[in-house]
Amino acid sequence: MSLAEHIRAESARLAAACTTCGVCVRACPMTPYAARVDAADPRAVAAGMVDVLRDGPGTPEALAWIAACCRSAACTAACPEGLDAAVMLRLAGFRARGALDGQPRIPVKEDTQFSPRVKAFARLTMTEEEQARWL
Amino acid sequence: MAVGSDRAVFWYGCNMARHGEIVRLAARMLEAVGMDTAPAGGPGHCCGSPKESNARISEGMGRRTVEKFNATGRGQVVTWCPSCHMNMQDVMAPVTPIAFATTHISEVLHARRDRLRPLLTVPVRARVLLHAHRGFDGRVPVNCLIPDLLRLVPGLELVEHSCRAPGHMCSGLVGLPGALADAHRAALAAMAEMDADTLCTIFHSCHREAVALEQNHRIRVVNWIHLLAEGMGWPYQDEYKTWRNAPDPRAAIGEARIEVAGELAFTRLVEPELRKPPVV
Repeated sequence: MSLAEHIRAESARLAAACTTCGVCVRACPMTPYAARVDAADPRAVAAGMVDVLRDGPGTPEALAWIAACCRSAACTAACPEGLDAAVMLRLAGFRARGALDGQPRIPVKEDTQFSPRVKAFARLTMTEEEQARWL
Repeated sequence: MAVGSDRAVFWYGCNMARHGEIVRLAARMLEAVGMDTAPAGGPGHCCGSPKESNARISEGMGRRTVEKFNATGRGQVVTWCPSCHMNMQDVMAPVTPIAFATTHISEVLHARRDRLRPLLTVPVRARVLLHAHRGFDGRVPVNCLIPDLLRLVPGLELVEHSCRAPGHMCSGLVGLPGALADAHRAALAAMAEMDADTLCTIFHSCHREAVALEQNHRIRVVNWIHLLAEGMGWPYQDEYKTWRNAPDPRAAIGEARIEVAGELAFTRLVEPELRKPPVV
């Protein structure tokens, strides 16, 4: 199975199980950092997230919520259906960042210098032997 | 949780390359509790998360890492980074069959804490607040396991407070305006309320952001591995913290080491990070 197939399969499974009750949105500590989400109907935000899982466009509030997710997992603990809502957000994040279709709908914060930076720090903090064995 | 296998890869992640001393200390602790560990990390052992906007690339990075771990023949991968740990469970293992158990380092040390206890003989005078996050604790109860371990350190006082930063570690907060500053303000307020003098980070991304708090606040920022090492009398230097808080990081590091790292790499990649001002 490819990662794309895994994302599609898990998205479909979790979207089918979600009732879009909005408890996950209410429980989320990141909504103050997501534009207009605090003022929106939590059920509508949840429904927008599920729409993204179903290949839909979502809503601006749902996309803002997905973008603000930093995996607090308060949603998972709160879900009355026992779903791993944090994984749902993660899958929605893959999709909204264009992982499947190359069409990002939320900002993609990729650091093109990530690996060179890690290696530069390694040269400062590790011996040559450690670099050879550990990196 | 499977903590039985004694032969393990210690997967320290990518960003811990900034803290070689934590890799060394953590590996030494794992060996002290009976593990035969092989540290592995850096871009060559990436979980794929830096490329989440492209499933094909992310999958390739994760698959390469799993295949390397499978090839070691070691029955366990001991993780450090919560992001790596969750990626292994959520997106790597479902896509590439794994031949090992995945366990967080806090689980291993906690399960074998009877072997750690006799080593913790040096008093550490510190009144400590744990820098805890809400996320990841549901996967691995780090907010209980690590306090249990810290309580083994003689002299160390661990204060109880309900303060929990959002997210699973601080790197997720950095990109959201105000979020990291809010989390740091909350931690500082909790420290003041509890009269704590030491902020103990759990994860690396939290540590590298929090060390700069020492510039404006009369506190000490250490990682939980540092505190355990102090309790064992193992010497270490948190050079990253020294450099980050130095008025001139270049002078603090020294030209000879900068030459080894590469002048261009230092100027473009390292120095801007070390000169970042603290957020609060």
